[in-house]
Formats: sequence, structure tokens, C-alpha cells
Amino acid sequence: MPNPLMSDERELAIDFAALESAADNLAAAALSLARRFAAGATMWCVAPNWSAHGRHVAVEFVHPVIMGKRALPAIYVNDDDLLGALRVLVRPGDLLCALGTAEDGKLTSLLRRSEAWGLTTTWIGAGPRPPASAADHLLWVDGVDPEIAGSAGGYVVLYHLLWELVHVVFEHPGLLVEPPACTDEVCITCSDEGRLVEVVETREDDTAVVLAQGHRERVDITLVGPRQPGDLLLVHAGTAITALEDSEL
Amino acid sequence: MTAEPTNFLYPFIDSEERDSSALLVDLAASARGKMAQSRELQLATLAQWAGVVETVGAEMAARFARGGRLYTFGNGGSATDAEMTAEIFRHPIKGRPLPAWPLVDDRAVLTALANDVGFELVFSRQLIAHARADDIALGLSTSGNSNNVMHAFGEAKHRGLMTIGLAGYNGGAMAGNDKVDYCLVVRSDSVHRIQEAQDALVFELWSVVQRLLADQSTLEGSSK
Repeated sequence: MPNPLMSDERELAIDFAALESAADNLAAAALSLARRFAAGATMWCVAPNWSAHGRHVAVEFVHPVIMGKRALPAIYVNDDDLLGALRVLVRPGDLLCALGTAEDGKLTSLLRRSEAWGLTTTWIGAGPRPPASAADHLLWVDGVDPEIAGSAGGYVVLYHLLWELVHVVFEHPGLLVEPPACTDEVCITCSDEGRLVEVVETREDDTAVVLAQGHRERVDITLVGPRQPGDLLLVHAGTAITALEDSEL
Repeated sequence: MTAEPTNFLYPFIDSEERDSSALLVDLAASARGKMAQSRELQLATLAQWAGVVETVGAEMAARFARGGRLYTFGNGGSATDAEMTAEIFRHPIKGRPLPAWPLVDDRAVLTALANDVGFELVFSRQLIAHARADDIALGLSTSGNSNNVMHAFGEAKHRGLMTIGLAGYNGGAMAGNDKVDYCLVVRSDSVHRIQEAQDALVFELWSVVQRLLADQSTLEGSSK
């Protein structure tokens, strides 16, 4: 056995204190993922600059390292047109596990649409932090160079633990039932605030068919002018009130 | 779903559990504990193999300098670690890009070989096609027992390649095997912690190779 007294003389490339600061978010993500899986979700894994990690996340869930743990549907998507591929692949209620930096335009564009598509999102990354609202669960390695986090064993610890904790949650069947989304009289999702939607197609009568939480609906686009499929809108009471930039996370 | 062994005594407890706050505290504590284990194992592994990593890095650097390529292979999570290993040598965060290729990359080749000759030969058959004596074969297997990885080492050794094995547990079939020039074992019985420490070892190997090649190019530069 290695001599543990030797250990602290060396420095690891990864700052584990930075990893530990993600522990609370890991716990929340695990609970949320387990609930979505229990409800039938597929987890779509994307990592445009780190296909090795994207595949590793998927294989953890599909082929558990511990015998007897259930196989869960996770798929790594490698497609030059990531948006186009996922737009047709996902179902409302599915999971998205993204891995990469906040500067990765392919990821930000995808995460931007996740609300319109009805996805619950987990984002594993390092370097400058995206806003907290950019994903449902941010597992961020603060203060570590993203290249180091990717190549020296930072990201891998986070997604290994995500898998381990999801299976701990499965041992608590009573907690797998998702609490009702709307409990108060005023609910953000269905009343006062604008909902983010993605344009599917435009009609000649100043309306557009949009995806809202993964479901198609017709909205009035008079206020925001002509729109293209793929555009993002904020909708309130059946009317698009603002057109959003793709890059605004 | 795995049930606790004593659940039969309290048949309704688990299914009636509704408050997740205690579980969230447990999950976060468990994550922190496992991170600490991962860190300790990585430190211990690097300390244990420091001398060997220096030796292996020197021979790898010499082979790269002679025009050798690195071929990497493994199964499942280890296949992705093989992909990552090739990636960090080929597209380094700094230093010299080096020729490295994962034998898990091409699904046409993998499925053709698996279908026609058997899964135990998917890596060795590729080495027959690609490998030269100056090349390097690096295989990963947490058990140390993967059949196709061991076959690849046999073929690589036969062709004069340098063979490096990364294993876990007690090293399995890789340990003390004359097909494996250097077998670096991560002493753990958790597949995840083993893979994390293997990643740290790979990164350390890459660092040593880069340092030695940089020293070498400095020498080459000064002799001109």
C-alpha cells in the first residue's frame, strides 16, 4: 500500500476545494435527475469540446459499474448540428447534461432553449461562471483552468459522483415523486412572468407556432415583428413581448 | 430499486418518505467524503509511482522523438479515458502536440472486428495494421483483466512496442505480466476512484513527457 504520510508532499493539478464547493449543487442535481429518470426521462449528454467526457457520462448511466444498479437512458449526442439534432430528439421532461465552458457557443445556444423544450439541465464546467439561471444545476469548478479540469481529473469526479448520488436517491422511493410544480396562487410558470419559447414556424397572420415547455402553442407576434424558426421569444398571455438574443444566458 | 435489508420490518417507511431535506444533506456530505477519498488516492498513487512515471515518461519521450506514435485503448469508461489520453497528447494545453490515437474511435472498425473475429481482438487487430516498433501501446482496465486489452499488449510486445498498462484493484492479469513493460496499479476497489487516479497518472505522464521533450529541444537549440 502507498504510504499516506507521503501524500501531502505533492500537489494535484486539480484544486479539490473547488470541487467541494459543488457538493451542495451535486446533491440537488442528483435528486432532480433521479426524479426525472423515475418519470421516464432520457438524459442527453453533450460536450462539443470534450467528447470523451460526454461519452463517459452516458456510459456511466447506461452501464452501471455496480452490478444490480438499474441501467438508465443516457445518450451522448455528437452532431455538427447539435441544435437541430436535439430539437427533434428530446421529449418534454427529458434531461440535458452539458459539459464545457460558458464561452462554448454551441452549449449556450442549447441551454438557452432548454426551457422552451421542457428540459431539466445540468451544466458541468470550469472557468468563468455563467449566470446561476443558465442551468437548473450548475456543477462548476471555480478557479480552475477548464483545460486542466477536463484533462487532469476534475470533471470526471463530478460526474462519477452525480451517478453515485442518483442511485442513492433511488433507494428512497418516497422521494422520487416530484412535488407539484404550482402550489401557490401566483406561479411563475403560468401567470405573471414571461415564458421563454422558441419559434417553430411563422404564419401570415402575425402569429407563430412556438415550443413552450416542449409543447406547441400559437402566439401573437405583432409586437416583436417578423421572426424566423429557431428565434427565442418571451411570451406573456399568448403574446410575444420581447425577442431574445441567442447569446443572452 | 435496491431496498435496505431491514426495510421489511417497516414496509411503509420508505414509500412514505416525503421530506428530501435530510437526504440532500446526506448526499452533499457523501459527495464531500468521496471527493476527499479521491484526492487521497490520487496523491498516494502519484507518490507510489513517481519513480516509474519518470522512467516511463523518459522512454515515451525517446520514442516520440524517434517518430513513434501512441495508441491507447480500453473498454467502457476506460475507452473514454483512452480517448481523453490521446486527446491531451495530441492537443496539449501547452507544449508540443504529439501523435496519439485511440483505438476506440472508429465504430466501423470496432464493429467489423467484433463481428468478424471477436471482441477480444478489436485492439490487437488494429495494432497489426498500424503499429511500428517505435510506437507505444497504452491500455487501461480498472480490473486489469480485460481480454482485448491483454491481447493488444501481446501483439504490441511482439511488434517491439513499449507497453504501458493502467490497472486497479491488485492489477489483475496485467500485474507481473511480461507483455506489460510497465504496469501502474491504482490500489483501490472502487472503479470510479480508480479511474480518477488513473486520469491523474496520465496527466502526470503527459507532464513528464512534455518536460523531457522541452529539455531536449532546448539542447537541440543550443547545439546549433
